[in-house]
Amino acid sequence: MMVKTIALLGHKDHGKSTLIGNMLMLTGSATKVRIKEAEEYSKRLHKAFEPAFILDSFAEERLNEMTIDTTRAEIKHKDLAFAFIDVPGHEELIKNMISGASYGDVALLLVSAKKDEGIRDQTKRHLFIARMLGIDKLIVAVNKMDTVGYKETTFNDVKAGLLKYIERIGFEKGKVHFIPVSAYKGDNLVKRSKNTKWYRGMTLIDAVYENAKQEGRKQDGPLRIITQGVLEGGHVVGRVVSGEIRVGERVSVLPAGVEATVKEITVKGKRVKKADAGLNVAIKIDKNIATELRGAVISGNKNKPKLLSKIKAKIFVTGKIGNNLSVKVNGIEIKCKSLKVLGSIDVTTGERSSKKRIELLGAIEAEVVLEKKIPVEDYETTRELGRFVLYSSREFAGICTVGK
Amino acid sequence: MISQDLKTLEERSIYIIREAKLKFKNVAALWSMGKDSTTMLALTRKAFLGKIPFPVIHIDNGIDYPETYEFREELAKKWNFKVIVEKSKIMPDSVGSACCGKNKPEALKKVMKEYGFDALIVSIRRDEHGIRAKERYMSPRNQSFKWDYKNQPAELWDDYSSKSDAKGHIRVHPLLDWNEIDIWRYIKQEKVPVNPLYFSRNGFRFRSLGCTHCTIALKSNAKNVDDIIKELETTKVEERSGRSMDKENEYVMQRLRALGYM
Repeated sequence: MMVKTIALLGHKDHGKSTLIGNMLMLTGSATKVRIKEAEEYSKRLHKAFEPAFILDSFAEERLNEMTIDTTRAEIKHKDLAFAFIDVPGHEELIKNMISGASYGDVALLLVSAKKDEGIRDQTKRHLFIARMLGIDKLIVAVNKMDTVGYKETTFNDVKAGLLKYIERIGFEKGKVHFIPVSAYKGDNLVKRSKNTKWYRGMTLIDAVYENAKQEGRKQDGPLRIITQGVLEGGHVVGRVVSGEIRVGERVSVLPAGVEATVKEITVKGKRVKKADAGLNVAIKIDKNIATELRGAVISGNKNKPKLLSKIKAKIFVTGKIGNNLSVKVNGIEIKCKSLKVLGSIDVTTGERSSKKRIELLGAIEAEVVLEKKIPVEDYETTRELGRFVLYSSREFAGICTVGK
Repeated sequence: MISQDLKTLEERSIYIIREAKLKFKNVAALWSMGKDSTTMLALTRKAFLGKIPFPVIHIDNGIDYPETYEFREELAKKWNFKVIVEKSKIMPDSVGSACCGKNKPEALKKVMKEYGFDALIVSIRRDEHGIRAKERYMSPRNQSFKWDYKNQPAELWDDYSSKSDAKGHIRVHPLLDWNEIDIWRYIKQEKVPVNPLYFSRNGFRFRSLGCTHCTIALKSNAKNVDDIIKELETTKVEERSGRSMDKENEYVMQRLRALGYM
């Protein structure tokens, strides 16, 4: 069964863990032991049953009723399975949120409709990050509808408050589902609720299914292999991230710029004539390359990625950007000579400005100059060659994508 | 239990196992002779053209089942890999965390130091336990094996940043995404040899294998791999319910993992 990953997004306490917990309960997907544990802990806190405790397993998470780190839970629906990725909503835990959401195929945003909660900066920030991580399918669950008497106007207000932003940062507005729910009470999660008769759209689980069943990104571009290294015996190992490699083909190894012919391809211990995108390969070429073969790119000898040391990138800032900068890309770390801010993007509006200030949890456009040239393509064309992680004095400082 | 696409799981695991070998200087793998770590070895052979290019560690408290020791000798010979056996102490009068919770990590610390391993492949899965579900694919441990679970490194875009202090090591978790049923479907597909204790004898079988002190067999008539897969498709019984350690209280796994338990 194919498993599609659904990344939860949203401000803290808007109900992400509760929603997944209750989905597990309502679909019969949680094991007895996990339910019993959550029951006992709820009792100990003198609370009604809290489904979030099925996900939040650390003592500190239950005690403080907050998610600290990301986790997953699976639900089967029709011919698909969904792995819901829970993430923390707290600003200071953004690196854990990014780690979880980076595996998402579909984003599921929660916005609380409760008075004084609503759309927050963090709501939009999570959407911004999801787009940077390459997620293009979005569902918005307007949560806690039970606290506002299931009023349609409240639902419409939240929807109206997000539509423009969603479009500006690059989601297709017409394809985004908005659903009124109560994560805690279960309205519209797996069954249509009598409390929202004015709502004619899908239940949450059907909306997730509709999005998840769509095909993922095609990997039918030109040949690109990212290498992990060389084994004893001379096999170069790596993963085909786009295209197809064939025995006898002329290829280029970058950044070395060496051309060679493919002699042998092995996939999972078996010799094959060709290998497609998605496969881990071990190949032999007709040349000994006296160069670094970790984080190198193998492409066809005609259609090659550019070699650049000066890269223009969009950066979401997760930590202090100091002097000792480096980027990590495809398993290798490269020192940065400089980082010049070209402008900034307001993550709460999606608008660009010429402001050159770096703000924590904000976004900038910058020119990054590396100590050596690496193969680069824009993020939309080849994900693996258009993204890197920024470190400052070995601390996680930002995620970067390369535009067209 | 949800059966996932085995090809997807297999490719991700192969990628991570290759990373473990090529990113670090000196990697080893833990092997308990159970189904998960044996599947990990089968995947390792796929990743490295039939070879297992790193040593495999068995932390042996001396009271594993006889079948387990036999299986160790047979498979190590058949697949031709090096096994390092490190003896760990037991507390004869106690069970669960009071017995191996401290002694197994101590033995592991000793062997890691002696051989200077900087990375250790451990075959845990998210679906085994809520605490294990919070792990990264690569997870740093400091010198005293502490897991700083409140401050795990970012992990995205195949960047396993995995910092550790110079004297610590990285735990590598290539099977994190697999469910119990996927392991058995893979064992079937690839004809991976398994410890015979998993199969039903007199109406009981082991679902999760520990030592003779702490693991009890569960009621089951599953006599072969096909039966086990069928059983898992519908079971509501938790995989580790035959392990006494897991029943002590809900945070014993968190406490043990934080201190370096596997």
